[in-house]
Amino acid sequence: MEFGEFIREAREKLREQDSRYSVRQVAQRVGVEPAYLSKIERGEQAPPSEATIRRLAEDLGQDADVLLAMAGKISADLKEVICRRPQLFAALIRDLREMPDHAILRVVREVRDGDW
Amino acid sequence: MVSMERSGLVFRFPEVHAEAVLGVNFQRTLRIPDDHREYPLPPGLGRFPLDHVDDHAGRVPERWLQHGGVLLPMYQAEAMWIAFEAREYPFAVKVAAGKVNAVTGGAWDRELHARPQDYVVTPRQPWLDGFAVKKGVIRQFVAMPLGRGYTAEEQLTGEAEHGGLQICVYPMKAAVYERLRRPRMHSINASMVDACCAEIRSEMGLAPGGLMRQEVYDDPHGLKAWETAASGRCFVHIVNSAEYERITGRKPPTKPPTAEAYTRAGLPWFSYYDENAQALDGAPSLAGLDSVAALGWKKGEQPLEDNGPVAPQKVVPLGPVQGKVREGEF
Repeated sequence: MEFGEFIREAREKLREQDSRYSVRQVAQRVGVEPAYLSKIERGEQAPPSEATIRRLAEDLGQDADVLLAMAGKISADLKEVICRRPQLFAALIRDLREMPDHAILRVVREVRDGDW
Repeated sequence: MVSMERSGLVFRFPEVHAEAVLGVNFQRTLRIPDDHREYPLPPGLGRFPLDHVDDHAGRVPERWLQHGGVLLPMYQAEAMWIAFEAREYPFAVKVAAGKVNAVTGGAWDRELHARPQDYVVTPRQPWLDGFAVKKGVIRQFVAMPLGRGYTAEEQLTGEAEHGGLQICVYPMKAAVYERLRRPRMHSINASMVDACCAEIRSEMGLAPGGLMRQEVYDDPHGLKAWETAASGRCFVHIVNSAEYERITGRKPPTKPPTAEAYTRAGLPWFSYYDENAQALDGAPSLAGLDSVAALGWKKGEQPLEDNGPVAPQKVVPLGPVQGKVREGEF
């Protein structure tokens, strides 16, 4: 699904129960023009900036990383992490490319539970 | 598994269901006046920073390393609320402060109990601001140093042993979830914790503060709905802000505004109501605790500055339909 279509479906679903999720009001809350948001939803305009996507994600109750990925963007904090050790992270990400979710989760640092 | 993402805890149970993911974060907030009046919900002022205790092994007490988990900084008499970020997948969550159950006042254990219900259910329960003292009313979580006798743990057990917050999460059984969601599969969804003579320590515990209108909702699914074989838990240590800087080398967040300054600035308070959910009765043992101000008065101390009453003018109603966003900036 395209970014714009996804945003429109998520917004429309919320609007079924709450009129504050009109294009105009969502646009106002995230700080863009309603016409601009409307064009984004219709796919006539490229996805907005990372900051706007993050505000949209918050307003629509969506995951910012998912929306950024749908928009073909990588969040600034991830870029910073990769740029600090580019070769290591490039190799790591390539190695993880085909791994199933549960295997990738094994790489994620767990909060250690102890004895209490 | 439990991981840390963006200053929050994420409980994932991929072995149960791909959607069984719950975020839990700890929100900075105003301390409401501790004056026997009932107040609406204060705002969220951003998340407390979290650190793995293991990352500061040489600078934290040995006991913390035994507990594992994370640490966060709070100023004395600062308040917090716990935000549950659940999408559709339901979870049963046990919350304790100093190993005193915040819903029942009972001692900590790893089982779920129905009578009385000793856990909250997400996403029905979007947040928890304090100890459930009576139906529809909680006493705000307020940080106090262990050893001075104010925390719920010290008042109930007479000991300042654990402090901090303890959280244990149980996902719903996958089969129960699938039955539950089948009727509403029409749309897609994104993706996806001897008192008076004891040493006063830099470790903090949570004490009962002012009264707030907040309902702790009942479990509409029943005990059998929960996958008790797959739980994730975390000990959240609370350290005073000065000690936090020594441990981590980073400055803690600035002090939150007072309730009086926030209200004078015309900023919103909140209320939350779910007409489809039943509120639990509060716990008699928690209702019998002294609030920080009351105990301070008995001890001839003044533990709370800026405790004058406020009159919130702007109260924004929230609910399952209106949305659950309580985070704000000041």
